[in-house]
Amino acid sequence: MAQRDPDAVEVRIKIGGPAGFGIKAAGQTLARLFTRAGYETFDLTEYPSLIKGGHNNYHLRISSEEIFSHVEPVDVLVALDRDTVTLHLDELTEGAAIIFDPGDLDIGELEDVPDTVCAIPVPLKEIVYAAGGISIMRNTAALGAVLGHIAFPLEYLTSSIEQQFAHKAPEIAEQNVACATAGYEYARDHECPFPYELAPRESDEERILVDGNEAVGAAALAAGIGLYCAYPMTPASSLLHFFAKNAEKYDLAVKHTEDELAAMNMVVGGAFGGTRSMCATSGGGFALMVEAFGLAGVSESAVVVGLFTRPGPATGMPTWTEQSDLRFAIHAAQGEFPRVVLAPGDREDAFNLTWQAFNIADVLQTPVIILGDTYLSDNRQSIPPFDTSHVEIDRGEIITEGEVEDYARHRVTNSGVSPRAIPGVRGAEQIVNSYEHDEHGYGAQGEIAEVRIAQNEKRMRKMDLARMITPSPAYYGPDATDLSILAFGSTKMPVREAMKWLDREGILVNLMQVVTLWPFPAEEVSEFLGKAKRTAIIEGNFTGQLQGLVRQECLMDVDHTLHRYDGRPFSPEQVCGFIKEVLG
Amino acid sequence: MPEVKEYTTPNKPTWCPGCGNFGMWEALKRALSQLELDFHEYSMVWGIGCHGNGADFLRTQGFHALHGRALPVATALSLTRPDLKVIIEMGDGDGYGLGMGHFVHSVRRNVDMTCIAHNNQIYGLTTGQASPTTEHLMRTVSTPGGVLEEPVNPVGLALAQGATFVARGFAGDIPHLTELYKAAIQHKGFALVDVFQPCVTWNKLNTFSWFRERVYKLEDEGHDPSDRSAAFELSLTTFHEMTCTPEECRVPIGIFYRDDEVPTYNEDATGAQEPGHRRAEKARDISDLMASLG
Repeated sequence: MAQRDPDAVEVRIKIGGPAGFGIKAAGQTLARLFTRAGYETFDLTEYPSLIKGGHNNYHLRISSEEIFSHVEPVDVLVALDRDTVTLHLDELTEGAAIIFDPGDLDIGELEDVPDTVCAIPVPLKEIVYAAGGISIMRNTAALGAVLGHIAFPLEYLTSSIEQQFAHKAPEIAEQNVACATAGYEYARDHECPFPYELAPRESDEERILVDGNEAVGAAALAAGIGLYCAYPMTPASSLLHFFAKNAEKYDLAVKHTEDELAAMNMVVGGAFGGTRSMCATSGGGFALMVEAFGLAGVSESAVVVGLFTRPGPATGMPTWTEQSDLRFAIHAAQGEFPRVVLAPGDREDAFNLTWQAFNIADVLQTPVIILGDTYLSDNRQSIPPFDTSHVEIDRGEIITEGEVEDYARHRVTNSGVSPRAIPGVRGAEQIVNSYEHDEHGYGAQGEIAEVRIAQNEKRMRKMDLARMITPSPAYYGPDATDLSILAFGSTKMPVREAMKWLDREGILVNLMQVVTLWPFPAEEVSEFLGKAKRTAIIEGNFTGQLQGLVRQECLMDVDHTLHRYDGRPFSPEQVCGFIKEVLG
Repeated sequence: MPEVKEYTTPNKPTWCPGCGNFGMWEALKRALSQLELDFHEYSMVWGIGCHGNGADFLRTQGFHALHGRALPVATALSLTRPDLKVIIEMGDGDGYGLGMGHFVHSVRRNVDMTCIAHNNQIYGLTTGQASPTTEHLMRTVSTPGGVLEEPVNPVGLALAQGATFVARGFAGDIPHLTELYKAAIQHKGFALVDVFQPCVTWNKLNTFSWFRERVYKLEDEGHDPSDRSAAFELSLTTFHEMTCTPEECRVPIGIFYRDDEVPTYNEDATGAQEPGHRRAEKARDISDLMASLG
């Protein structure tokens, strides 16, 4: 498979070991280092519970060309325990190296290690002991060994260490540098062949290193968020940490609530007061939020909800990824009310859709869901800094001060949107109500048939406006192709990567990423599928939830489908294999 | 400043004739008027139940929340709108049943707001089932053999959880209740006023006359509201056998405990010092943040 551009340099490094070894932190040090050295990076962290003690691993893809996703192969495997070798042996490329501590395992007694694999024993624990350090520093020695093996300048690591530990006692940085240097020299002395030349690149292009949650958080801050509420739940928890860390500097209220019910109700209360308010969770937490999500609908509350999905039902597979809550997002809560569901496909999308979500929520005065997943939430990619010049704040029809006359909060209008005077404005007497209500919000009159019809139709009319102001689908690839693919969310990433590889083989594929899942862009999807030679949907669930929407909204179907529901994201290798198979 | 009658809306109350909610409604209107709170200076949040139907009758810029969820809505409003007085009305089934988790956490948080509980010891709106505060062994449509649980003790629970203002009122004594409301609204921090409010339709035990024979005012008997242990001791005295005589079981009303020196959650929270909508007047500059994402 033409994965590598012949002119490009690409290396894939995996670090594996037991939980608590600081594997992700070590991996992110590498990602930072190579990003600063002018390379594109994409990481993938896995926390499976395959064996007693748990096995964690971190995969880092480093490339000199533009990349869109992770990949499966491994060129350098850092094994902090024996299981890491056996679990990832089949991912090793020809000529791959394994860096390990001979005190942990005897590689000679392991079966199935191919002859082409070069073993690099590095006495990590002895190095740490000699440097007078603590056991976690063996990661630093291992990172030194990685750089030694691929002959990359050690200064990138040592300067990163000095920066990282600048605020700690000086001997900590010194011990880490000593460990890195010793690891580096061990690997250099071992002289395992490394087939690629990897040197620091001159690059003027600025890069940031972010995961999906950081992208959402940055955008929410830019958009003027004033209240974030959440109960911890993987993979949304890091967004709570992000806001908590930034709360003081950016002066916003952040509440770790007693449960998700409180989180969603608080966000509705914040929005009632005129504050841009958001909560985020995963499917299980959203299940608890559902009643108050409906409350946001009937009370016409401008709230933003992050729904970052993982395999369900119930507790499911907490640290893994899946796209099986699409229908849940679209249908959550009893009754009917307008809502918007936006699905970012990568970090740029996450940033741009999040600040837009706040505007859409305010303009429509209704809840907006940002539908992501673990694959996007958890993993970092080097990308150009977010373009904040486009961020604008549109609060819709809102009155935050002064006085209003003859005010009715839920005034029946042509657009369905009623001017919103927040509490504190003179004359803005109102009840914002979980009951059906009249124009003033009074519940008793909400039971009158004509009032119910008027208010229900007024709210639902906002979906017409939603169709006009929500983002259109995104298109990638040429117009005329052998296969047209429809996908949503993070699946965009491996599909785009696969398209890049296939293009080199002359196989033409295009992709429509459905960005706004609700209201569903039936017209654009119908047109895309209608003019395609062959069609396929790729989605990370069992039942074909996007496919069902296509059938329901477009009265059409696709020729082929690819599903995945093992907790892993689609890989570009898998997508390529699928496309080649269906094209025969 | 608005007169008492101005705090009503054009909607005619739908409570049963003689309902304890009328007394609570009147006392609240008097308290708001006497505190000279204009309609844009306070915001009411209700739960669901007979008490919540009062949302239609009281003039405010308020929110009629979900069953059991008035407190989190109000908490966020208090945190993001320091310019408003936030007052919650909740029911016993609503606030001490479904919303019990929020109640306990709201107490320990000491967010600056006033929580008025309509405690009629029965479910009214859903036609007479046992509530969390229904007396032990009382027969109801959902407990024909009698309630087997001990009733929730709201005053004791709040005290145990570090409440900074705890009072109990009786809907049959409007002047006394008005004073309790005023003190609670003026209190800095979370203030609970649990109000015995007889349900004339479904609760045939805890009636107006039952309470009139039993209530006494704490201030008349020299209770020191700064004495938390004494307050806790008193909170245990409301519970009794159903057959007890007025002499055997007396029901204290008034301020059990108050401490005005405890810092509120609002004072120490980020983003809670000015109205939250000020954050969104223009796009925030996140260049420092971006520089740190390297």
